[in-house]
Amino acid sequence: MKVRGRDPVDNDSRWLLDQHSRAIPGLKSMRTYADADEVDLVIVGCGAGGGTLAQRLARQGWRIVVLEAGPFWDPDTDWVSDEAGSHDLYWTEDRIIGGEDPVELGKNNSGRGVGGSMVHYAGYAPRFHPSDFMTQTLDGVGADWPYRYEELKPHYERVEAELPVSGQDWPWGDPHSYPHSPHPLGGGADRAWEGALKAGVEMRVGPVAITNGQFGHRPHCIYRGFCLQACKVHAKGSPLITHVPDALAHGVEIRSLCMAVRVEVDESTGAATGVTFFDRDGRERFQRAAAVAVAGYSIETPRLLLHSTSARFPNGLGNGFDQVGRYVMVQGASQVAARFPETMDVFKAPPPEISSEQFYETDESRGFRRGFSIQTVGPLPIDWANHVLADGHWGHALREYMRDYRHWSVLGTLCELLPLPENRVTLADGVTDRHGMPVARFDYTQCDNDRANIAYGKETLRRIWEAADAQDTLTIDRYAHLIGGARMGFNPEESVCDSDHRVWDTPNVFVADGAAMPTQGSANPALTIMAAASRLAERLAAKRVRSAAPGRIRPGRVAR
Amino acid sequence: MTTPQNRGRYPGFDVLEQADHWDEATRKVVLDRVHNVPPIRFFDADEIPVLRTFCDTVLAQDCEPRVPVLEMIDAKLHAGQHDGFRYAGMPPDGEVFKLVARGLGDEFVRAPREQRVATLTAMSKGELDWDFLDPGKAWKVCMRIALGVFYSHPWAWNEIGFPGPAYPRGYSRLGIGLSETWEADPAPQRDHDPVKENIGP
Repeated sequence: MKVRGRDPVDNDSRWLLDQHSRAIPGLKSMRTYADADEVDLVIVGCGAGGGTLAQRLARQGWRIVVLEAGPFWDPDTDWVSDEAGSHDLYWTEDRIIGGEDPVELGKNNSGRGVGGSMVHYAGYAPRFHPSDFMTQTLDGVGADWPYRYEELKPHYERVEAELPVSGQDWPWGDPHSYPHSPHPLGGGADRAWEGALKAGVEMRVGPVAITNGQFGHRPHCIYRGFCLQACKVHAKGSPLITHVPDALAHGVEIRSLCMAVRVEVDESTGAATGVTFFDRDGRERFQRAAAVAVAGYSIETPRLLLHSTSARFPNGLGNGFDQVGRYVMVQGASQVAARFPETMDVFKAPPPEISSEQFYETDESRGFRRGFSIQTVGPLPIDWANHVLADGHWGHALREYMRDYRHWSVLGTLCELLPLPENRVTLADGVTDRHGMPVARFDYTQCDNDRANIAYGKETLRRIWEAADAQDTLTIDRYAHLIGGARMGFNPEESVCDSDHRVWDTPNVFVADGAAMPTQGSANPALTIMAAASRLAERLAAKRVRSAAPGRIRPGRVAR
Repeated sequence: MTTPQNRGRYPGFDVLEQADHWDEATRKVVLDRVHNVPPIRFFDADEIPVLRTFCDTVLAQDCEPRVPVLEMIDAKLHAGQHDGFRYAGMPPDGEVFKLVARGLGDEFVRAPREQRVATLTAMSKGELDWDFLDPGKAWKVCMRIALGVFYSHPWAWNEIGFPGPAYPRGYSRLGIGLSETWEADPAPQRDHDPVKENIGP
């Protein structure tokens, strides 16, 4: 597979959109399957992993049903240019958070609906560094992936062309360039750039999955600043517009508002037979399938695997060695804001504008392993109020800080926090959702290396703002993203799936999202989740997936 | 134009004057916030004065005009709208508010401002002696929701110079100190930071 020039290959999504309306035209003519049809593949979740996998394999003639818990969005009517009004974009059903450093879920990191959390991500689309695939070997921490960067590289290039990604030539990791030019800078990023230069920190513009120019039927970005509230413009890429239109054109059925509750298995072979789900009317149904790919992200994927118990798999799928739900990672995403006499107006332009990966790799002199990235963020008023509160201000002080909103610019870190076995998703005791399925509980506690990394990252941000002559700074400690929970590895004792994302001890169940990733680097994960799904699709289509399990993968398709 | 308590730094700036430039879905959501405030249905009569005093104190809404914060919180909880997570050991968000009302009690309503601030300062640090609720976590829950509704209101946007929805229009003047004609005129530059004077809550 080669990317010809800078145009996407084998994906017409950008041309299948309507220029005058943001609804996805292919929905009206979508193919449908009967529950009793044994389709080639059922995918649970239509985000970065599931959406990409569906598009790729549909192109190869696979008959696919995608079960998506959330809605199939019509951006014109469902999405608003407003912070509080965007509440429905997030996974808002209860989940329990625990541990010493609990991670708040919901709008920060959990999507729902066709397009997944990429609908409301900022838009940063950096690659992982080659070192991210072998941190155990290089640095003695984390884990090695069962494959290397080079295997993902062609898929990175392909997905970057499909999103498309805009940015300056990238000097870090494996140096590369981007299909679209860098965007112009807003005030906040401009000032951050100045400070970084003076502090000896190199920044680059991008990389963001936001059009800079016409792209098929997608228009240029209009710099309205509401990237995190879903892009009504169709400028920011998410699977809803980058992969779903082409998937629909190739016969995929996306069943929205359908909540998967169990992957069913044949007790004699251990092979999955399909997925039990509740449809939009609350009816329990079962979709037959020759193979199942779970792509519900790091909370819902482990939850579904743990809930899929049977006589053969009494502890859930892939959980023979108590590995499901473990090694869930988040990135330390502390932010330091700085005040300036002039207006910065961070609510304009995309919040993701410039970034630095200068501190990405291990430098022993810093006193910890691995590193962090630096990126601009552009909080809207509600997010900004929470930032002010986090620094201890409320009442009159909060109101006064808020009146100064236009004068603040904000930088954030993305610190690589390490995968730890006790940072895990389990099924909560006694709390169930409306279908009676136990909700997820996520416990999270940092290790010493994590704390040292976060502290150093924040200090670096303060140094940048000091160099920019900031009048005042405010700090918030927070997290971003989710990774892991059903990681791939070399054996079932230490992982949930193999290098082909195939769940150990099953012949035909795959983990096709960020849950499968053993490390997270200091990069926003969306691009890597898509690239990994693209690689998986290529291997499945080429029948290169091994089968070491008793149920074996039947010839033809994975199991047809 | 209205700002909460008539405070603000951008006199004459009213985001609602721009409503004709917003897309229909957004316009409905934002204007409903101003014009269709539902009555209180989730909280009980004895909880209302306590929670209203709580909201007024934490948001410094000490006189009219006020953003109807408690009504907006009540609407969210009445609709069962949760935010996607709950701290282990904590009840659902609505129950947290009710327990906070019980913990603060009627004396909080009658207390002078200094005493209310002292109580809430202790709550924010988790130092209240409540055996039925973790005060520090409850503070986080209540503040997240209170800030979420207050700064969703166009009057609060007027106060801080936020131009609100920007679709389908977008922005073309992006740099330091630059504004569109329909944005608030930047307030006079200050060579000092106004909050450095330790205003406090």
